[in-house]
Amino acid sequence: MARMKFLCDADRCIECNGCVTACKNANEVPWGVNRRRVITLNDGLPGEKSISVACMHCTDAPCAAVCPTDCFYTTTDGIVLHDKDLCIGCGYCFYACPFGAPQFPRREAFGVRGKMDKCTFCAGGPAEPGSQEEFRKYGANRIADGKLPACAEMCATKALLAGDGDLVADIFRQRAMSRDGRPQTWGWAKAYGAGA
Amino acid sequence: MMARRCVLAAGALALAVALSGCYESSDVTRFEPGQYKGADDPLLAKLEDPEFRAQLDARFDGQRDR
Repeated sequence: MARMKFLCDADRCIECNGCVTACKNANEVPWGVNRRRVITLNDGLPGEKSISVACMHCTDAPCAAVCPTDCFYTTTDGIVLHDKDLCIGCGYCFYACPFGAPQFPRREAFGVRGKMDKCTFCAGGPAEPGSQEEFRKYGANRIADGKLPACAEMCATKALLAGDGDLVADIFRQRAMSRDGRPQTWGWAKAYGAGA
Repeated sequence: MMARRCVLAAGALALAVALSGCYESSDVTRFEPGQYKGADDPLLAKLEDPEFRAQLDARFDGQRDR
């Protein structure tokens, strides 16, 4: 059985934030919530690396482990989803998640947390796929349409891969193998390295 | 006399309406550790369809470098 995963190729990510924009646009994510973010290490220095981070759809998800109302469920493909009708907005999942994936909209008075919102792998939630109710609560259900998550589909450099973990690993392995033999006529080292 | 009856009837009606607001639904979700008790997701059944799976896999495979 497949296990759906994201993988961001740090050598390819150019920090364009296209994945963030695609996610926000496809799912009409509430103001103040980012289901996906691009993190840059050593920003502005030679050799900087960027990676796009969202819910990693953990096999043994800590968010699900700490949820007092057990609003999380995992599909047969390993996509971690949640039911917003059960969520009480306690925020435990936010503290448990090592990636900061669960987010809470703050549109109510006194900074009250709303229902938790996170990346759904563009697989919606527990509602009729493609329905207005599902879109309002969880965003687009592209998986039900046989499509990739919007972020991965939109990635211009194909840095962000999504799909079955085995397939994603195979694609990355092929890239890594061909990368070593690449002529160094272009790239970071040529532009900013010694002698530039 | 008639006016008094009307007032009493109106009072009884108001009391009934007010008390109906105190009704508490006994249909509550009793949570148990590790058990998801939310709505069913129709996507789960769809993912079991081999034809749909093949379509999805083909789409995922399109991420390879050309």
